[in-house]
This record gives sequence, structure tokens and C-alpha cells, in this order.
Amino acid sequence: MSSYKQASEDASGWQPRIVAFLCNWCSYAGADLAGVSRFEYPTNVRIIRVPCSGRVDPMFVLKSFERGADMVLVSGCHPGDCHYTTGNYHARRKLLALREMMSFLGIDPRRFKMSWVSAAEGSKWSAVIRQITDEARSLGPFESFPTFTLQEVKK
Amino acid sequence: MNNQEVEVEEGRTLLDAARALSIEIPTLCHHRAVPPAGACRICVVEVKGGGRPGLVPACAYPAQEGLVIETDTERVLASRQMTLRLLLARCPDSEVLKELAERYNAEPLPLEQKDDKCIMCGLCVRVCREVIGPSATCFTGRGADRTVSTPYKMLSDVCIGCGACAFLCPTGAIDPAEFCTHPLEKIPNEFNCGQDFRTPIHVPFPQAVPNKPVIDKDNCIHFKTGKCGACKSICPAGAIDYDMEDETVEEKVGAIIVATGYEMIDPAVYEEYGYRRYPDVLTSMEFERMVSASGATDGRLLRPSNGKPPKSVVFLQCIGSREEKIGKPYSSKICCMYTAKHAVLYKHKVHDGQAFIFYMDIRSAGKNYEEFVRRVVKEKNVTYLRGRVAKVYPRGDKLVVRGADTLSGGQVEISAEMVVLAPAMIPSSGVRELAQTLRIGYDEHGFLSEAHPKLKPVETNTAGVFLAGACHSPKDIPDSVAQASAAAGKALGLVSHEQLTREPTIGVVNEQTCNGCFECKNVCAYGAIERKELRDRKGQLLAIVAHINEGLCQGCGACSVTCRSKSIEVQGFREDQLFAEINAVSR
Amino acid sequence: MPALLLADEIGARRGGRDRCDRSDDYSVASAGRHGRFRCSVLIAVLGVVVLLIVFGIGGGTQKKRKLKAIQTGGPSGGCIPESLIDLPVDYEQLTQSGAMMGSGGLIVMDERTCMVDVARYFLSLLVDESCGKCTPCREGLFQMHEILNRIVEGEGREGDIELLEQLAAYVKDSSLCMLGGTAPNPVLSTLRHFRHEYEAHIKEKKCPAGVCKALVQFRIAAGDCKGCGLCKKNCPSNAIAGEKKEPHSIDASECVKCGVCYEECPFDAVKAG
Repeated sequence: MSSYKQASEDASGWQPRIVAFLCNWCSYAGADLAGVSRFEYPTNVRIIRVPCSGRVDPMFVLKSFERGADMVLVSGCHPGDCHYTTGNYHARRKLLALREMMSFLGIDPRRFKMSWVSAAEGSKWSAVIRQITDEARSLGPFESFPTFTLQEVKK
Repeated sequence: MNNQEVEVEEGRTLLDAARALSIEIPTLCHHRAVPPAGACRICVVEVKGGGRPGLVPACAYPAQEGLVIETDTERVLASRQMTLRLLLARCPDSEVLKELAERYNAEPLPLEQKDDKCIMCGLCVRVCREVIGPSATCFTGRGADRTVSTPYKMLSDVCIGCGACAFLCPTGAIDPAEFCTHPLEKIPNEFNCGQDFRTPIHVPFPQAVPNKPVIDKDNCIHFKTGKCGACKSICPAGAIDYDMEDETVEEKVGAIIVATGYEMIDPAVYEEYGYRRYPDVLTSMEFERMVSASGATDGRLLRPSNGKPPKSVVFLQCIGSREEKIGKPYSSKICCMYTAKHAVLYKHKVHDGQAFIFYMDIRSAGKNYEEFVRRVVKEKNVTYLRGRVAKVYPRGDKLVVRGADTLSGGQVEISAEMVVLAPAMIPSSGVRELAQTLRIGYDEHGFLSEAHPKLKPVETNTAGVFLAGACHSPKDIPDSVAQASAAAGKALGLVSHEQLTREPTIGVVNEQTCNGCFECKNVCAYGAIERKELRDRKGQLLAIVAHINEGLCQGCGACSVTCRSKSIEVQGFREDQLFAEINAVSR
Repeated sequence: MPALLLADEIGARRGGRDRCDRSDDYSVASAGRHGRFRCSVLIAVLGVVVLLIVFGIGGGTQKKRKLKAIQTGGPSGGCIPESLIDLPVDYEQLTQSGAMMGSGGLIVMDERTCMVDVARYFLSLLVDESCGKCTPCREGLFQMHEILNRIVEGEGREGDIELLEQLAAYVKDSSLCMLGGTAPNPVLSTLRHFRHEYEAHIKEKKCPAGVCKALVQFRIAAGDCKGCGLCKKNCPSNAIAGEKKEPHSIDASECVKCGVCYEECPFDAVKAG
């Protein structure tokens, strides 16, 4: 039994939920390589594949927090190596601008992470996940955005 | 000539006419790069008609209308024989003269013998004056006391040490090293790892493609001083053009295969092995070039320190491979096999030599590889020692290799006359910049990334760019060839269809909601956003909206994020689809 | 009749004249005391028979010795033996007999001139003049000179004459310029007319003219010697002994073979053998 599975459970049984947007060509392939190479990392991360980190609209990040994510990660190709040349630059700029506004929106900016993982970096991917999972656990559950149901709004 | 009619260009000599008819006339003082002198007289032929009768030198006598020449009369032969006898009396040890004397049956006569090497052909003087330029040597004295020397027999200030004189000398009588005070810097032959020297005009190596010479402009005398030009005057095809310039050629291609190969690390970083400190420590590449028949020593294995064959050679594997601190963590794959090969080659060249190999593991996974290594151990008596080497240091005129032999559990000290290091394999320099230009990936060592480690070993993430060989990972020739064939197959497959199949995940504009701001055009890396005019049935312009070119769009989605009215969606990665995913995974 | 011209006018007229309009110069030169030949400087008209020049104008041989040969045309010229003395001095006639007009010189040689030594001497001049560019002249003349040196030193070998002829033919045929083309002439013409002298040097190790020191032994014929003492007085090494009016004798061990006694004896009592 891996130590990680045990470590991610605390007394109350709560586990952080991390939503990760991975660009198809670099980070997603890197995560795949981590699996193929049998690197171990916590299972708290949920991966959404996008063609490029540049496809990630800031709304996706906010939506994830709204829907229950405790931490959001956007991971793309290393600057200079984007499969679509410039996509990761747009992502970087947009998401940094989002990070500036996060406190204003009521989200701890530490809950939003960006990383650059290439397709060959299986071990780096697993290291990134291990590190942010630990941090997510220490930050605790995200409770700033309550979930509104439609009835409650009408009320 | 010899009863055959022949025509040659104006200005050509009888020798040219003879060669046009494949008639052989010997020469000594003639060379096509240099104006003729007609001095040695060995090329004399007989004029029978059309001019003053008698013997004339074929190399210098101009061809004329109506000349009748015989090249093999008794008179010609008698003269030729006597010329050879006299020259041999002057230079009795010359192989060239002996061979010619034999060919023309010039039996020796009781002539006064001298002990000279120079036959006074004057080629050295003429080439230095007419072709290279400095006129460093000249004839001094007259008659039987004539010699070739520098003015006043003093060391020369003008000789550039080009060696043209020594090259042309038929008897090896002149050595510019004896009088040259500022010789040209010799150019180390890069292909032979600097073990010998090359000329500025050279074919890089015998198997070069194209197999044509190239001029190294930085070292060429013509480009430096405007003189020489010997290559151009010698080339029978007139192929040399000093005015050629480098051109940048643009080609539109459908596929690119990257096969940029490898280099090796410089083992001098491991000071304990003494590379570049002790002359008898070589890299495997230097060893390979030395034992090659086309190498600097014609394939003889010689110690750099004293030029003799080494009686003992120690091979060190894994220099920089499988090593985390200052080397590379990976295995370079090829070294175990080529070291075994080198040990066998060494034993073939030095039958009574001793070969030792220090190894960590033997990686011999290819077809018949393990059997080969076994044979090397058993039949060729090569001693394999499992352990690392701590130090290589000199003792007397030999080197001591001190290492561990883990199988017997002790230290060993071997007295070696040569040490060969197997350095780690790295991708060629400049590969990272190339990868960025091609938009393909690479790992932390610079090895180029394949699209999938198991399922797509020759493709990259960029459509149309393929990989082959050591640029992808350390590999040997059979594997490189296999990968190259696969890449070629993939490339051909790509360009051989009538229609190109592509991923459908491209952007689509909702023309109803698009307001024509064209912010999307600014972020598209492929220029796939075009202006489209919407017109009514009467042809009146209703709106200008964005339109995505299906051939160019790669589906990155940058436009979709930028669009303020959310009028662009990427098929398969639409906002509603992604929101559905977010919904599903966030809770 | 012959026109007498000054020596420097000869020089002015010498160069570059074409065969058919060459003017009527012919000079008879002396080699002076250093040489073996003695004659006077004279200029004669073309076509005048050699005999006339030598005896008529030139005054004949020294001490009325027997005429042996005439050498014409400078070092590259050839010699005419006494038997052909009635040749007219003109181009074709001279060339046919193996001599040449050359620079217009004429040297008279008497019986005390060794033709082998003459050939050797002229060849040495030509060896010095050779520029050395082409193999035949540079090497061939050198080898011929070596052979002749050996012959006059008494080390001539069987086959030397044939070798000389072979080399001479080669140098003449294959040289780059006419220096080499004419350099073998002294050897060729002396061989042609005086082969017996060469053979004597080689086979008998004797110099009939008494010139080649290695091959000569001077002795005084008692019968002819009048005891005048002229030889004894002039001998540099005091090798001659004898009383006045008595026949003198030469001590061979002291004799350095300078030839002064041979030259000076008014009665030709000193013999070379």
C-alpha cells in the first residue's frame, strides 16, 4: 500500500480536490509518462485535458472553485516550447491577471497554481502533484463560494 | 604523332597532344600546375617533319600545324636512357629514377657517382615563384655546381611553409622545415580528431556526401593573400570557382526528419583520468580513427608519446555515463559493444598485446551482441575487470591504471601503454535551438522528444516532423537505421496521399454573434483568422465577421478565450463541454 | 690581301651576323704563355687557305716545330689535323671537317700539344660556362670532364673512349641550347682525328706529346745533349745534374715534370717518353 494514499486522509476523512487543466501536448503527455514510468503521486488530482494552456479561460478556474475544487492547477509547455508557439504566453498573461484579482474575488491566491511540465518530465509531474497536494491539505477545504441552487436564487 | 593525327588547342604542348592520344611520355620536371621548363630532357621526342629536325622536350615544345613527331625512335630511347643514367649517377638512391631506369632499360654505365637527392628539375623553384608567390627558393651557382637553395643559403623570411615544393619534388629532396622560419599553422584534420592535418581544400572524409572537396576559406592562401590558386589551375574539370558565395536556400517541404546525431562529452572534466594531460590517454573516437585504415596512421595503432605500438591497452567504460554528479545519469548504450570491438581490433593489430576493460555492467542486448562479448572474453583473451578506475598516472614512460576489481574483491594496478576512455554520448550542440524553431520538444539532456514513448517513437508532437537516430536517444547503427527507415516511411505516408487527414478539433466562428473586432486575429499563431464579408441577396454588405481557415487552424483555442462575445468555439473543447467536465470533477 | 684590324674592332663586329653576309673577319689568337700554343694575333680574309694564314701571315709554328693541328672557333670549335691544312677558311668547309667558324678564332698547335689535354682543357672551359639547367650539359659534360681527367692522370680505362663518344652524342643531341649542342665538339673532333693519342694514354699510359705529367718521364738523350746547361739553370727543383759540355741527366725522383727543360733545350735533347 502506497504511503501517499494514507497520508492524504486526515482524521475527518477529508481529501483535497485538485482540478488540473493540462495542455494536451506537454503536461498531459508528461502525466502519461509519469504513469508509464510508474511514478507514484496522490490521486487527489482530477485532470481536464485541453489542447493548449492558452485554451484555459479564467472562467474555468473560477468555475472549478465554484463547483467545489480546493485547488486549481493549470499546467502547460515550457515557455518557448509551446506546441502552438504562443499559446502558453497568452495563458501566462491571462492567468497572472486572474491571480491579481483573486483576493478581491475571495479566493486565497495560494489555491491557484501554474506549472510548466514537458512531455518528458514524468518525474517532475509527480513531484508537482505531491507538493501541491500537501499544500492543499494544509490550506484546508475551500468554503468561500457557497453553492447556490436555482431555488435559493429565486428566493 | 606516331602516325596518328591529333589536334590540340592553341598554346598546348606536344605532351598534351601525346596525352590526348594516350601515348605515354615520362616526365620529371613537368607538372601541370606549373609553367614548363624543359630541363630534365627525359620527355624528349623527335621532330621528323614540319620543323627543325631533332630532339625537343615534349613538355615545353608548342604544338604547331603540320608537325610530325615520333615518340619512340632509337634516338629518343638512347637519349632517355642516358638522361636516366646521368640522373641516377647523381642521385643513386632515388626510387623514382630507379623505376624509370628499369622501365626504359637504362643499364648502368661506369659513371662518376655523386650522393645527391636533387635532380635539378626546378619544380620547387617554379611553383614557389609562379604559383604560390613568395619565391623562397632559387637556383644558385652554375653548371655542375648548381644547387637549389634560399638566397645566400640563409633561413627564409618569406617561405610560408605551405609544402608545395616538397609536394612536387619527384625525389623528396627538399624540406621547407629546414629553412622556413614562419610556417603556416597546420590545420588539424577534424575528422581524424586532430591526429593529422589537412589542407584548406579537402574532402572532409572519404565517405562524405557529396564526395566533393570544399575550400576552408579561413585558411586558404588564395583567400588570404590573393596568390596561389594552384587548385584552380590543376582542376581538369574547371570546377573551382573562388567567387562562389554561401546561399540561403528556401524550400517548401511536406515533412522534416531530424537526424542531428550526437557528440561526446569531453572527458577532461574527470581529471583523474589524465585526458589531455598524458598523450597516451585517448577517447574511444580517437582510438577508432587511429585504427581506421583511412586514418592518420593508415590503421597502425601507435602510442602518441613515442610512435610505437602499445604492448598493453586499458579501456575504461562509463566515463560520464550512469553518473549523476558531473556526468549524465543515462547509459550511453553503445560503449560496451564498441569497447569489445576495439579490444578485438587491438589484439588483431598487436598479437602479443594485452587488453583490459574496466566495466560496470555489460550492456549487450542486441542481436548476437552477447555472443560477441562472450567470444571476446573467451577467445581473444581480453581481461574484463568489473570495477571503476580511481586514477591514471604516469610511471616512467608508461601509465599506471589503478582501479577496483569487485569480483575478486581487491585493487588492481595495471601498467598500460595506452588508455582509452568511453565518454558519454550527448545530443549535438545547437539541437535545443533547432527544436524550438521546429516546435518540437526535448528533455533536460537535449534529446528530442518523441510523440509517445511506446506507440510513436519516430513522430514528434508537430505534424510532419519526425525523428531518427541518436538525436532521440543514445543508440547504435542498426537501431538508428531502423528508426530512420520508420521515419522515412512515416514521412512518405504523410505526403503520398491525395488528401491530408487532420484532427477535427479546430475553431468555428458563430457568424451571428461575431462583431468583427478581430481580437482573435491578433492571438492566432497560424494566421488562420480571415475577414469574411456577409452580404444579403442584393449583394449589400451586412457585416464583416471572422472566419477560420480550416487548413491552417491547429485548434489551440487561444482565439476562443480571447473572443469577447464568445463567438468562437473549438470543436471538442467547447465551453459547455469543458464546463461539464469541471462540474464532474470538482466535487 | 688580308686587312689588319684592331682587336677591339673584332669584338664590335662579332655579334649577330647572319651567315650569308658575314664580313670578312677571321682572327688568329694566341693563348699566351699560360697555354700550350703560341701564335700571333692576326686577322685574315675568309677563304684564305689555312696554310696561308698559319705560315704566310702567322709566321708558322714556334721554333719551327712540326704543325699538328689547327683549332678553330673558340672552345666549342673543333680541330683540323695537319693533313687537312689546305682547307679554305669558310663556313661549310670547316664544318664538314668537324671544326667551325664560331667566334672566328684560330689556334695553331704543334707536335708538343697533347690533343687529349686540349680536349680536356676546352671541356673545362665549357663546363664552367654551362648554366646547369638541362641534364645533358650539366651532368653529361661533367662526366666527360671526369673521364678526361682520369685519362690524363693515367687512370684511363678500357671503354672510356666509347663512353666519351656515347656521352658526347647524347649531349649534342639532347641539350636545351647550343652551348650544350656544341660543347662536345672538342672531344668529338679530337677523337675523330687523333684517336691514337687517346689510345696511347689509356692503353699504354703514355702521352706522346709529353704534356700529361702523370704519363711523362723527361730524360736527356746523351747523344743530343751538348751540355749547355740551360736546362739545369732553369730547373726549379734542381733535378738536373751535369758538367758543362758534358751530357746532363735528370734525376727522376726530384723531377716535378714542369717541362721547362723540355721547352728550353735548344737542341731538343730533352725527350718526353
